[in-house]
Amino acid sequence: MADADKKVIELFYDTISPYSWIAFEVLCRYRSRWNIDLRLRPFSLAAVVTETGNSPPGRVPAKLKWMGKDLMRQAYFYKIPFRGRKDPNNDMANKHNINVMLLLTAVTMDCPQHLESLTRELWLRFWSREEDITQPASLEAAATAAGIPADQTAALLAKLQDQTVKARLTKTTQEALRHGAFGAPTIVAHVGGKPHMYWGSDRFLLIADLLGEEWLGPLTELAHL
Amino acid sequence: TSKMAAPARKTVEFFYDVLSPYTWLGFEIMCRYQQKWNIDLKLRPFYLAGVFKSSDNRPPAMVPAKSQYMGRDLWRLADMYKVPFKLPSNVIEVLFIKGSLNAGRFLTAVDMNCDQYLEELTRQLFLRIFYRDEDITEPASLLSAAMKAGIPEDLAKQLLSTIKDQTVKDRFQQTTQAALDYGAFGAPTIVAHVDGKPKMFFGSDRFELMAHMLGEKWHGPLPELAKAKI
Repeated sequence: MADADKKVIELFYDTISPYSWIAFEVLCRYRSRWNIDLRLRPFSLAAVVTETGNSPPGRVPAKLKWMGKDLMRQAYFYKIPFRGRKDPNNDMANKHNINVMLLLTAVTMDCPQHLESLTRELWLRFWSREEDITQPASLEAAATAAGIPADQTAALLAKLQDQTVKARLTKTTQEALRHGAFGAPTIVAHVGGKPHMYWGSDRFLLIADLLGEEWLGPLTELAHL
Repeated sequence: TSKMAAPARKTVEFFYDVLSPYTWLGFEIMCRYQQKWNIDLKLRPFYLAGVFKSSDNRPPAMVPAKSQYMGRDLWRLADMYKVPFKLPSNVIEVLFIKGSLNAGRFLTAVDMNCDQYLEELTRQLFLRIFYRDEDITEPASLLSAAMKAGIPEDLAKQLLSTIKDQTVKDRFQQTTQAALDYGAFGAPTIVAHVDGKPKMFFGSDRFELMAHMLGEKWHGPLPELAKAKI
């Protein structure tokens, strides 16, 4: 298959978002089934929410309760080891921060071959093992677990506050906003020379239809975890 | 030879308000799957405004970027599902000002007295609001929908005259409360009863997951089984 035929799919995601994890795993699995070129685009969900006047979904108690159940059911259905957190609202506000997305941005710039594995490791830390991801030592541990060599890890951590990295994260986030993003995950499928934006991890049937592909279900046999 | 009893149908309660566009799509899908899945579909008209109030929730389209997306999303879904769909020309007036109280009570009265018409009346009301941009609040509108649903005129008029009766109001309120007791915060709220336990689903995009939990197979939107013809 010529690469030129592959349809570009951009996944704008933030590791604070559990539904983004579902979209991430599904799209990673579908790379081997659909004729697509998957581009991972770490962005800042906090910035998107603020910019669009949106609010986090967990504001409504009954909705937060349902989302917990929904995520556990989907985790089981898709074979993703999501285990939730004891206090998700508090932890999303206080135990996740922009440094995580800056690190992923730096990886995108300097060693993109590690982007998928580091992204997965960060989700596992935050949403599966309820481990810290705010301390430099935690980010270092995640990078190591993702297979990034020690010297590369040190260089990445040293540049998190660089203007170039912040500018890149801002640019990616603004691209998502230009596509009409207001939440995460935001998926942009480029078909017929036009971008088609989808929000959430529950539009794969529509995306398959747009791509002229078939939805084959959760493809748990291709699970990376 | 012994006859094996057919496995008992699983009850699926579909709580809905005709004011909700995503619910129109979910309703059509759910009705198609009545023929495919071993389920006993129970249509439960409820009051979405009441659900929002009790759960401290808000209608989803208060965020401009989200509202714009939802318009496209609904159109794309309706196109793929082959459900006739068009947003009302004055969305604010139809969805936020005129509301659905009379429609909900009328559906309740039909549910209480002649529920064999409930599905088609629901469909006709959805087609009025989300395809032909027609009113669903006036008695004449409700009567027109009832007759298109096949309800004999005198029966329709008689039921219409009862929508402010305490029994109808109480039943409508009870149905809404039942949904809230299941954890509802929006529409549609679908409750599948599996192994004696209620499993609540929110939205019209959880059918594949629901199939999995019901031990059934998801075949996509099944446009060939469409009941609402364009």
